[in-house]
Amino acid sequence: MIEAIVFLPLVGFALVGLLAFVDPGTDTPEAKAKKHKIDFASQWITSGSLLLSMVLSWVVFNDVALEGNAYTVQLMTWIQSGDLELNWAFKVDTLTAVMLVVVTTVSAMVHVYSIGYMHHDPDVPRFMAYLSLFTFAMLMLVTADNLVQLFFGWEGVGLASYLLIGFWYTKPSANAAAIKAFVVNRVGDFGFVLGILACYVIFDTVNLDQIFARAGEMTQVNISIFSGEFHAITVICLLLFIGAMGKSAQLGLHTWLPDAMEGPTPVSALIHAATMVTAGIFMVVRMSPLFEYSDLALQVVAIVGASTAIFAATVACTQFDIKRVIAYSTCSQLGYMFFAIGVSAYNAAIFHLMTHAFFKALLFLGAGSVIHAMSDEQDMRKMGGIWKSIPVTYTLMWIGSLALVGIWPFAGFYSKDIVLEAAWAAHTLVGDYAFWLGITAAFLTAFYSWRLIIMSFHGSPRADETVMAHVHESPKIMIAPLFVLAFGACFAGLVGYGWFVGDGAGVFWANSILILPEHTAMVDAHHVPMWVKYLPLVVGVAGITLAYVMYMFAPNLPQMVVNAIRPVHKFVFNKWYFDELYDAMFVRPAFMAGKGFWKTGDGAIIDGMGPDGVASTADDTARRVAALQSGYLYHYAFSMLIGVVLMVSWYLFTHAG
Amino acid sequence: MPITEVPNLAPALPEIFLGLAAMSLLMLGVFQNTTGPDGVMKASRLTSGLGIVMLVLAMVLVVTVSGDRLLTFDGLFVSDPFASFVKVLILIASTFSLILAEDWMEKQGCHRFEYVIVILFATLGMMMMVSANNMLSLYMGLELQSLSLYILAAFQRDDMRSTEAGVKYFVLGALASGMLLYGMSLVYGFSGTTDFDALAALFAGGTEPAAGLIIGLVFIIAGLTFKVSGVPFHMWTPDVYEGAPTPVTAFFSVAPKVAALALFIRVMNGPFGDLASQWQQIIIAISVASMLLGGFAAIAQTNIKRMMAYSSIGHVGYALIGLAVANETGVRAILVYLTIYVFMNIGTFACIMAMRRSDRAVENIGDLAGLAKTHPAMAAAMAVFMFSMAGIPPLAGFIGKLYIFLAAVEAGFMMLAIIGVLASVVSAYYYLRIIKIMYFDKPVTTPLETPIPKRIVGVLVITSIFVLAFVVFPNPVINAAGVAASALFSG
Amino acid sequence: MNAGMLIDNVLLGEYFPILVFLGIAIALSVFLIAASIIIGRQKPDPEKLSAYECGFPPFDDARTKFDIRFYLVAILFIIFDLEVAFLFPWAVSLGSIGLFGFWSMIVFLGVLTIGFIYEWKKGALEWE
Repeated sequence: MIEAIVFLPLVGFALVGLLAFVDPGTDTPEAKAKKHKIDFASQWITSGSLLLSMVLSWVVFNDVALEGNAYTVQLMTWIQSGDLELNWAFKVDTLTAVMLVVVTTVSAMVHVYSIGYMHHDPDVPRFMAYLSLFTFAMLMLVTADNLVQLFFGWEGVGLASYLLIGFWYTKPSANAAAIKAFVVNRVGDFGFVLGILACYVIFDTVNLDQIFARAGEMTQVNISIFSGEFHAITVICLLLFIGAMGKSAQLGLHTWLPDAMEGPTPVSALIHAATMVTAGIFMVVRMSPLFEYSDLALQVVAIVGASTAIFAATVACTQFDIKRVIAYSTCSQLGYMFFAIGVSAYNAAIFHLMTHAFFKALLFLGAGSVIHAMSDEQDMRKMGGIWKSIPVTYTLMWIGSLALVGIWPFAGFYSKDIVLEAAWAAHTLVGDYAFWLGITAAFLTAFYSWRLIIMSFHGSPRADETVMAHVHESPKIMIAPLFVLAFGACFAGLVGYGWFVGDGAGVFWANSILILPEHTAMVDAHHVPMWVKYLPLVVGVAGITLAYVMYMFAPNLPQMVVNAIRPVHKFVFNKWYFDELYDAMFVRPAFMAGKGFWKTGDGAIIDGMGPDGVASTADDTARRVAALQSGYLYHYAFSMLIGVVLMVSWYLFTHAG
Repeated sequence: MPITEVPNLAPALPEIFLGLAAMSLLMLGVFQNTTGPDGVMKASRLTSGLGIVMLVLAMVLVVTVSGDRLLTFDGLFVSDPFASFVKVLILIASTFSLILAEDWMEKQGCHRFEYVIVILFATLGMMMMVSANNMLSLYMGLELQSLSLYILAAFQRDDMRSTEAGVKYFVLGALASGMLLYGMSLVYGFSGTTDFDALAALFAGGTEPAAGLIIGLVFIIAGLTFKVSGVPFHMWTPDVYEGAPTPVTAFFSVAPKVAALALFIRVMNGPFGDLASQWQQIIIAISVASMLLGGFAAIAQTNIKRMMAYSSIGHVGYALIGLAVANETGVRAILVYLTIYVFMNIGTFACIMAMRRSDRAVENIGDLAGLAKTHPAMAAAMAVFMFSMAGIPPLAGFIGKLYIFLAAVEAGFMMLAIIGVLASVVSAYYYLRIIKIMYFDKPVTTPLETPIPKRIVGVLVITSIFVLAFVVFPNPVINAAGVAASALFSG
Repeated sequence: MNAGMLIDNVLLGEYFPILVFLGIAIALSVFLIAASIIIGRQKPDPEKLSAYECGFPPFDDARTKFDIRFYLVAILFIIFDLEVAFLFPWAVSLGSIGLFGFWSMIVFLGVLTIGFIYEWKKGALEWE
């Protein structure tokens, strides 16, 4: 069954990938009909396989997570070299089962949504194939039973992400964004690879179960790097976390995520909100038996996570591109998950991951619906006054935003609260840091969410009349998946609370997560003071209220605030100048070095001395040698005599002397 | 053997036959009625056809009499497997060039029956050269060959370039002959004999030879180097190749080259074999200079015959590597190389002879532009020959070079092999340029004439099959070359 | 003294008569020229100084055209002249070279005859 779940998307990718090569021809009615047929087939092959995969995932979830039948399936040997033995295998435990459900459900919804969203696109089969390829890679990632297979999936989703961000490859900005995403991820991947290697050095294996079994014995082992001795598990965990930072767009390696919004909106929903960016969270949680033995690594994770949460939230308040706002929101929410991990509240992190997947995918797809309605307009300053025209989308956006902000009884309320409570309950400096930043970020989250809703839907229309005339509700094929996700956004928290973080958590997670007894944050989270419990809700409502005040009742206020705090606003609006900093620190020096190597190193030195130089020298020599041939008989005779004289004198000097 | 007894004529049977045949054809031709153009053409065709038959018969005789080493004419003449192998090769080359010549000569209006006679005499001279076992018989064969070649170079006697080629070749050839003779007289003066076996016996003891004798040897090397057109005695080659009528150039580029190289091998490894340490360095120098000059100078050429002249200089350089190593493997490598070289070159010249436009022979490389579109088959054949000459696997030219370089490496001449490989990279430049011009350049003028004469097509088919299939069936040639080489060293 | 030098001396000794011959030849020609200068009456005029019997003036631009037939005749003459020169030693030693020596020369003459027939047939011997 697990094989079917993982490989169905691959089969879909293979079939539809081949379909993408069929050229229907151009501009004739037959060609259009043919294209329509191909598109239809590709849409339903991929969506069908994903829906089937989703149903099977729920069955597996029931079996593994609820019935407690964790197992591992060995497929075949992949690499066997000396001590190193790698298998293709599926490790299915509760953690994997949760991820399977999240990935396949969101992916299936996005596939179905894409049928409507992408139906005008000339490259439908290619798009659907990429989506399925992504899903396959993501499933390989979450089912991996060793680090190398995990890395295979990790790189697979990176590739699919690259292909999908650059899907509209005729747009230079899309290409740039795709390359940026890939390159920034490589930085993280490098850390990840080093982490895998360090793991192999210390444990002599990359198999997850074997590593976890021996983690306890290895707490005192040091690893020497550049003649310095370091705590081995901390080194491994930090390296792995660098990988996770890249994939999950944490502060420092986050710059690619907002740019990734150049991709089609379903891609943003699936990859850059619900699934791929959570791979980092998943990986760290999966490695919890290692992280648990390194307090330093956990502290780093918590600090980075909390900082990302507040940083991204501030930036989100100032952006005008509807998708970028949600993208920064995603970044911020990922920060929540990381600081939950940082206080050993792994199950809270996964709980938030799961609820976030539903409501963030809902928000993205809803935003896509808005963009669709507004004739591909993404700038919120050119929207407004459309809530009556698209009431369904409007409602769904409300649900998504309520869930995001964490208003009872929506999903976010449960998951965000438990994350913040765990941070508080850690009773450490880092925990407090995370808690207070988290609360602030929660306030900002509420503010930017309603800023988005009000700017997009309310007020007087700021788009021109032709656009306004076209505003329409999206087709049913796009709305239907939104309802499924909205259902999740409404009830996932309520239903999941008991399993994920409630009383049943111990049974539910079984052995898939390790929390050492001395890390009590998760236990204590249920016994926090009342004000801690209600503070997130209060700041959420406060944020919403502020947004109403500023954008609905006093529309001049935002500009006044901006003017009042211009330097701060400018700093935040420009995303804390990360892009500019990286541009100056890495990109431009790299380009200059590249250009230098190209023009001087390769062009002038290697080509100049090498191929070009040799070729021109050969030509030159040829001309000179050919010029020796004067055509005069006496020159020829002279050269013969000189030749004899040379030969004789050479002989006399070398032999007879 | 007292001088009064009749010597054993059997070993020299092919030569005697060819000499009589040439004289008979001369008489036959001169008594033909040659009044009017038709008569001239008839005489020319008759002798040409009979000449080919005679060459083939001579080849049969060579194969028949070949066997153990036999001396005759008081030790002046030797018949051994080495001589037989080379003679067969020479006869093949002469036959092909006669087949190609008649048609071209008729079209150029210089078809005269004497052409065949002179070719036959030149071939006879070459056969004498390879069977020479004495400085005097060597010189006689060499001069018979050379004088015939001078006439051939100037055969198109109303053409300025052809006569110029003849005069240049003659004057420089005379100079080279003078050097050769001077060297022989020095050798005779310091050793008292001109007989190869006696000379070999003289040096076998390992005594240090007199300086004058080595200087004589150097002069002999100079004279022979001229005949094989090695640097720095190559200067005549481009001018003569360009000026001579194309069938003559085709002949020059194969038969005399094979004969002179064979003679070179016999002289250096026979009488002077034990002095190898004295002359190896000179041969290496000539070889390196030839390979490099042949490679570089050819790049700058626009006339394809001139380019082929430099190409032949380069090929001689490679062949001389086999001589420089001075052992059986080296000689075998040269023989294999020469065999392949003959077929490649004949094929290439067959293509060049097919280059006609507006009833005129053209010989600029640029005239080949766009050949792939107008004459795809001919372009393909030419491409095969060029790839083979450049030494690109799996064509025959690669195997020839492989044997040569292997011989050098085995004998420890690593640098020589490396220079050889580098030079062949340089030479690939101009060979591949021809292919590029044929396949990628746009034709600038009217396409070359069609159809290609049947004889040329036939020669093209045979030679290109040889070049393509050699890699599959290399053994007959390689085994025969092995037998020939070992005969030279055991005798 | 090594073997090579010994050969040298013996060989050089055999060439002594030629050296004597050369000496006598030079002395005789010097004597004859000197005698004609001293004894003869010297009274030059342009006609006396001009070349005769060679068909064209000796001092002139070398690039003028002249009749190739002069050379043809000269070359043909040389061939048969040398043939005769070759016949003398053959005739003298005929007694010791036997029948094979005799037939060798006949073959040589036969080859020459073929050449002669060719040039005759080609009209090389006709002046006009």
